[in-house]
Amino acid sequence: MIGIDTKIKRGSGELAILALLDHEPLHGYEISKRIAQQTGGVLQFNLASLYPLLYRMEKRGWVKGKWEEAQNGRKRRYYHLTRNGKKQLAPLREEWGMFFQALHRIAGVAHAG
Amino acid sequence: MPDNQGLIRERLGVLGLGTRREEEIVRELSEHLADHAAALEARGVARDAAARHALDSVSNWPEFREEILSAETEETTMNYRTKVLWLPALCALTLSNVLLALMQIFGPLPHFHWLGAGKSMEPFYMFGVPWLISQPLVGAVAAYWSRRAGGAVRHQLLAALAPAIALLCLFVLVIPFSIILDKHVPYHIRLSAYLVFTVTWVLLPAVPLLIGAAPFLRKPQAQS
Repeated sequence: MIGIDTKIKRGSGELAILALLDHEPLHGYEISKRIAQQTGGVLQFNLASLYPLLYRMEKRGWVKGKWEEAQNGRKRRYYHLTRNGKKQLAPLREEWGMFFQALHRIAGVAHAG
Repeated sequence: MPDNQGLIRERLGVLGLGTRREEEIVRELSEHLADHAAALEARGVARDAAARHALDSVSNWPEFREEILSAETEETTMNYRTKVLWLPALCALTLSNVLLALMQIFGPLPHFHWLGAGKSMEPFYMFGVPWLISQPLVGAVAAYWSRRAGGAVRHQLLAALAPAIALLCLFVLVIPFSIILDKHVPYHIRLSAYLVFTVTWVLLPAVPLLIGAAPFLRKPQAQS
């Protein structure tokens, strides 16, 4: 499988995390699992790549982490999308859409959207 | 079960983020490692090997440490509303008042027009046409700044109208309270003069401020 460059991964990771949290609050491991599942393994986040991204997004006020009890009874830090995070989602989607359109025009790269 | 928290602390060292935050980070990372190891075990990997493999998923711990520190120290000094509203609004207010002061110093002086016979207590209106002409620039700067910072259209509007809103507060709140509380403020200010001043210093400047802001009132750009 072709690896994704770190900078692209970071930028797309922000969009992926915001989009996932728009549906429901999730803890870190669940976020990384769902990103891998839903992208067919193209985007994969491990401990080292996921948490700095989450902490950065939390500092920006896009997400808010709260300790809550998971289904297995363990306390997990669930990330909730904030109002500010919701506001970032639409322009980020638009930016990535434009990015793929531009790539498609110049290099024939198609996107699923 | 391995002491994940101890292993993480050993690898990350002291982060200098305060005991509470560091404990939270270590606990959260430890839970992630436990989940990862459990998932590997479920796929048939032996417990010890699964725990080791989960820990080895971080290939460069010093780099991971730096990434955490970099994320944790980013943008701690300014919150969202400060960036998208208060700073652009303050900029607009300052710029508007500096322009007014410059025009009062270097001219042309504001235009006075007496509504009555021209006696000192008669209502009059006063405004500086060059100052009003300069206000679209103020509105444009504030709206553009707010949009660049990621502000919504309402933030852009409020920031652009800040000079007019500040004067509205002055007329609606400060002057009536001053009349009641401060014996030096003349209580016989006439309502007509009060209304005329409100129109010429609030409503009139709001129009060019809005005209200047209008081309920039758009959905925010995503922050990088």
